[in-house]
Amino acid sequence: MKIKNAQIAISLICVILGFMLSIQFKSVRRNTALSNTQLKRAEELQAELNKEREKNENLYKQLLQYEKDLNAYQKAAAESSDQAQGLLKQLYNAQTLAGLNDVEGPGVIVTLNDSKVENKETSKIDENYFIIHDDDILMVINELSDAGAEAISINDERLIATSEIRCAGNTISVNNNRYGTPFVIKAIGNPETLESGLNIRSGVVDILRQWGIEVTVKKVDKLLIKRFSGGINFKYATPVVTQQ
Amino acid sequence: MLIPFIGLLVGIIIGILTPFHVPSQYSSYLAIAILAALDSVFGGISASCQKTFDMKVFITGFFANSLLAALLTYIGKKLDVDIHLAAIIVFGTRLFQNFAIIRRFLLNKFLKNDKI
Repeated sequence: MKIKNAQIAISLICVILGFMLSIQFKSVRRNTALSNTQLKRAEELQAELNKEREKNENLYKQLLQYEKDLNAYQKAAAESSDQAQGLLKQLYNAQTLAGLNDVEGPGVIVTLNDSKVENKETSKIDENYFIIHDDDILMVINELSDAGAEAISINDERLIATSEIRCAGNTISVNNNRYGTPFVIKAIGNPETLESGLNIRSGVVDILRQWGIEVTVKKVDKLLIKRFSGGINFKYATPVVTQQ
Repeated sequence: MLIPFIGLLVGIIIGILTPFHVPSQYSSYLAIAILAALDSVFGGISASCQKTFDMKVFITGFFANSLLAALLTYIGKKLDVDIHLAAIIVFGTRLFQNFAIIRRFLLNKFLKNDKI
C-alpha cells in the first residue's frame, strides 16, 4: 500500500517533470530560432544597403554622363547663333552661382581641427569649448562670404543656397552628408581679403584659437572647388514670371 | 515501476500540446525547476527502493527545493553572482548518488532473480 502511494506520487512529479521538460525544450528551440532570425534580418538589411549603394553609384555615373551630353548639346547649339551663345554664358553664370559647376581660381584653404589643449579637471571648463561645433564653422563661412568668397566648400561639399551646416552627433551635416574633423573649408575669392577677414583682431580665428582649436589659413593661387553633387528638386517654390 | 514512465510521457505530451512557451529571460528558472523535479524523482525512486519512502518528505522536498532553487537564481541574477550554480551542483550530485543507489538495488534484484 505504501509502495503504491509512492509510485503515484513519483508518477505525479514525473508528469510535472515531463511537462516542464517539453515546455523548456520548445522554448529554448524557439528562442534560439528567434535570435537566429534577428541575425539573419541584419544580414539581409546589410545586403540590401550594399545593393542600394551600388545602385546609387551607378545612377550617379549615369547622371554625369547625361550632363556631359547636355553640355555637348549646349555647345553645339551655341555655335549656331550669337543669341544662343549669350544664353549659354548666362546659363554658365547661373550654374556657377547655384554651385552646379566646378570652379577654380585663387582663394584660401582653412583647416579646422579640434583642440589638443589638455582640459585640466580642476579648471572646470566645459569640454565643449575645445571641440568644433556647427556654429564655429558657420562663423567662418559667414566671414568668408563677407570677404567676398564666390564659391565655398566644406570637405569638398559645395555650399549652395539650400545647404545646411548643422550639428549631427559628433559630426557635422552639410548637404545631408556627414563630416567629422578635420574640416577643410575652401573658398574662392581675393586671397588677401579672405585671409585678413578671418585673421582680423578678435575675429573668428582669434576666438577659436582662444580654446586651442587648430586653425590654419593658407592662401592659394589656384584651387578647384567641385560642383554640388546632389539633385535639386523644388517641391514648393515655383518661379514667378513677371509680364513685361 | 512502469507508472512513472507513463506519467513522464503524459507530461511530455501535455507540454507539447499546450500552445505556451517561456520567454528567454525566465528560461533559467524553468531549467532549475526541471533539475529540482529530476532530483525529487530520483530521490523518490531510490527511497522507495530502500523502502524508506515518506510521502510528506517527498512532496515538500519537491516544492521547497524548486522554490529555493528559483529564489537562488533570482537573487543570483540581481547580485550578478551565479548562485544557482549551488543548486545545480547539489541537485547534480544527489542525482548521481540516488542513481547509484537505484543501480545497486536493481543489480541486486536481477542478480538474485537470476539465481532463483
